[in-house]
Amino acid sequence: MADSFTLPLRPNLEKSDRPDTLPVEIAQINEQWGGFRDVNEEVLLAKIAEEEERGGPVESDEDGDKKDMDTTERREELYKRRAEITQFAMASHMETMFALDFVSLLLSKHAPRQAETSMSAFLKQVAPVGSLNSEVVHPPPKPDSVNKDISTVSRGWRIQNFNSAANKLLGAASRLEKEVEAETKYWSSVLAIKDKGWKVCRLPRERQSLGVQYGFMEATPAFRDRGLASLRRAKDGSLVLDQGLVPSGSRFVRVRVKRGSRITGCTKPPGASSNDADSIEQRILQARDSVFEDELFHELVREARAMASCGVTTRQNLIQIPVADDLEILLDLVDVNDESLHAEQDSSQDDVVLAGGVAHSIRILLSFAHRQNLHRRTQVPLPLTPKRRPNPEYHLLRPALAYLQHTSEARYLESFIRDIVSTLRSSGFQVPEFTAQMFSNWKLPHPRPSPNALEGLISSSLKPIESVFQGKLLTPNSSFTVRMRTNMSFPPFGTHYDVSFNLPSVPDLKSPGNLSLREEVEAAVAHLLLLDVVMNISSAQVEEKPTEPDTPAKRWWDPIYPHMGELLIAYDHPEKHKKMRIVLSRDQLSLETYLVRCIDGIGIGTAEGRSQHTETKTWNLQQSLGSPNQQSSAMDFVIAEAST
Amino acid sequence: MHELLLFASVPIHQHAELLQQLAGLTAMQPRHCYERRLIFKAYRKPGVANARVGASQDLQSGDLQRVNKMLNGGMFYTQVVGPIQSTDFADPSVTATANANPDPNPNASPLDPDTDTKMDGMDSDSNIPRSAYDFDQQSWQLEFRDIPEAGTRSAVTSRVMATAALPRGDIVPSMNAWGYSFVTEYLVEGDMFIHNDIVINLHRVLHYPTIPGEETQPRHQIPALQQMAPLEKSGSYVLQASMTVHDGSNQETMKTASQHLFGLREQLKSAVRLEMADRLSLDTRVK
Repeated sequence: MADSFTLPLRPNLEKSDRPDTLPVEIAQINEQWGGFRDVNEEVLLAKIAEEEERGGPVESDEDGDKKDMDTTERREELYKRRAEITQFAMASHMETMFALDFVSLLLSKHAPRQAETSMSAFLKQVAPVGSLNSEVVHPPPKPDSVNKDISTVSRGWRIQNFNSAANKLLGAASRLEKEVEAETKYWSSVLAIKDKGWKVCRLPRERQSLGVQYGFMEATPAFRDRGLASLRRAKDGSLVLDQGLVPSGSRFVRVRVKRGSRITGCTKPPGASSNDADSIEQRILQARDSVFEDELFHELVREARAMASCGVTTRQNLIQIPVADDLEILLDLVDVNDESLHAEQDSSQDDVVLAGGVAHSIRILLSFAHRQNLHRRTQVPLPLTPKRRPNPEYHLLRPALAYLQHTSEARYLESFIRDIVSTLRSSGFQVPEFTAQMFSNWKLPHPRPSPNALEGLISSSLKPIESVFQGKLLTPNSSFTVRMRTNMSFPPFGTHYDVSFNLPSVPDLKSPGNLSLREEVEAAVAHLLLLDVVMNISSAQVEEKPTEPDTPAKRWWDPIYPHMGELLIAYDHPEKHKKMRIVLSRDQLSLETYLVRCIDGIGIGTAEGRSQHTETKTWNLQQSLGSPNQQSSAMDFVIAEAST
Repeated sequence: MHELLLFASVPIHQHAELLQQLAGLTAMQPRHCYERRLIFKAYRKPGVANARVGASQDLQSGDLQRVNKMLNGGMFYTQVVGPIQSTDFADPSVTATANANPDPNPNASPLDPDTDTKMDGMDSDSNIPRSAYDFDQQSWQLEFRDIPEAGTRSAVTSRVMATAALPRGDIVPSMNAWGYSFVTEYLVEGDMFIHNDIVINLHRVLHYPTIPGEETQPRHQIPALQQMAPLEKSGSYVLQASMTVHDGSNQETMKTASQHLFGLREQLKSAVRLEMADRLSLDTRVK
């Protein structure tokens, strides 16, 4: 006897009598033996004979009997069986008819007309309608002892069942209590997330579960859709952030600075901001950060591919950007917890700062691109056209690269101008100071902070960068200006120089126009200063005149070929003239005087017929730095040479 | 260009809720806007002769044909639309307290936070207050809308449209020169949302308070917003979802555009019922 009475709540599974149903068996036979169509007696006999040969006489008795029988016997057997089946069917039919007659007769008392239709003709003849009746018969009363037994047993049963029911209810109650506790925990943590300002919503594909939106609405659709994770409930009610198929590790875009073949600067992985690293808040933050970093790297690669013309190369997980000289910037997406990241110690402080600056700027620019996307999205859209609008790359690398290139070029130009000016000073020329105005087109934002001031600041940094170098020259009222612009956003790319000047003493001088190589700018500035020196020497005569008025025939240098730095003193002798050649380079100024024998001294190159006798004087940059006033000045040399 | 449209009527009690729903759907804040709309009617200038002279076998040049078509084609009502700011409305508190002490009215309209509009408060010959609105700097846009296409199988309203920028300031002389006469003007107040390529406008039409003698030309001053009366007395709004297609003859883009509109209709199904408008109610032809 079972110790408790339970109500089955599940549907009971019906067990089939046979393991395989007929269709399954037929399919099996078809599979195993082929179709039924080819089966005939010969084939089966042949098969049996074959098996017999192989397996020996393992036939059952029945098979043996069958073999003995010949066809007539078998036919008889078949007939006999058929007769048996028919007989059996007849008997069952008869029994059914009897039962029907019986029931009909019994019913005919109450519903004679209806019952008559199902009565057999024989019964109607034999028995009149309604001649059979039924009554409920009360059984004889049982003795008290039996009744008592029954009541005791049933009471026992009932108590047992109550007990079991109570147990079940208690179990269900405790389970419900646990469930309520878990739900409370789950919902309170969901509410805590919501209170912290995260957007909690239903999942679009899975309407019954909750999700938290931590991604960026304005990101590329692939990354925007990744910014939604479902908030699942663990068994104990704790919250689980289910990000689906996205790998859960956090990664970041690492920026490294490479000089030559050495890595000299590297950004550090962002450390965990809180000690409670496993809280749901931290996990959401981490998921948000890794979505951002993934998108950042995706956009960087997209932009780097478009910048292949600037020498940027991309590997599967590495972007290499040559900046200037031997400086190179490497970007890659690495795991935060990768231990190998901390191995490199060969770093300089400046380059660590540079790497950090690049890392921050690309992140700021991506956020800026997101804002621009929002701005663009909320404008009235253009009419629909069949061709798809291009999706331009964000400006992330280009502004950073433009800044670095511009800084490098501007520093180079500044050092060049300073050097050449110092060289001139060492020779005694009083060249005025030049001014360098770096990033002249970057304006400071409005002092009053406004929501658009930040965006204005960033969008101004996306424009071409401009720096201006200005200086006065030796000859009065003359000056030069070098305006350099670096632009990486639209062609022409790279740094371009615009050299302009005001040199009234050389009237037919034209501006070299737009230059794009630093060597060309060097040459232009050096040439300009050379012309200035030549003009300064030739014009110095004017100052000499009042001091020595008694020598009217005094000769002075005439700038015969100023562009080549050549000056001439023509003597009365037709084939004997004194020539001076000035050569100015970054770190050297040399003055050379010699006699030429060609007529009027206007010959040039081999035609000038120069003598062997030369006087040369040079001033070097290094000397000027060490001892500026030790040597005699160039003007003294010029005056001395003119008077001899 | 073609324009595909769906409309729905939004009762006033649903307005705030629908604004929230649309803000959520489009992930943007509603852009509140006011537009002055002037209605102009085309008329045939007397004295314009039919350019077709001479024998019919004369081949007309292309230019002449075009001019003929323009002169003899159908005539339409057009709208001239000028966006205005909420600060362009007159401040009702100025007239109300013009002769009282100048302490700030606590019941000042929240739509007019700008206190710089306290000017011309002494203008006593009309009770319409003045504002800083400068009619001469008002920018205008000409909007032409054809009658919706007939017999389209698709369940959206589609019509030919064109817009063109106009000079600032008083537009009536230019329009007269082009053969349009001023009929009337009204104001549209509403919010705009952008959902992908669809512009969603939730707006209603406001009428100016009537002053005799001002109907013959556009107003140079805008009365206070509180004095404007909605055209629909219950104050209900119209939701209009529109999409422009550059080339209306391209079946593919037209289909895409209507698919997008149907997608929006499905998304908003539980809130409002977007449907196409009655064609004749959008008839712009001059009869």
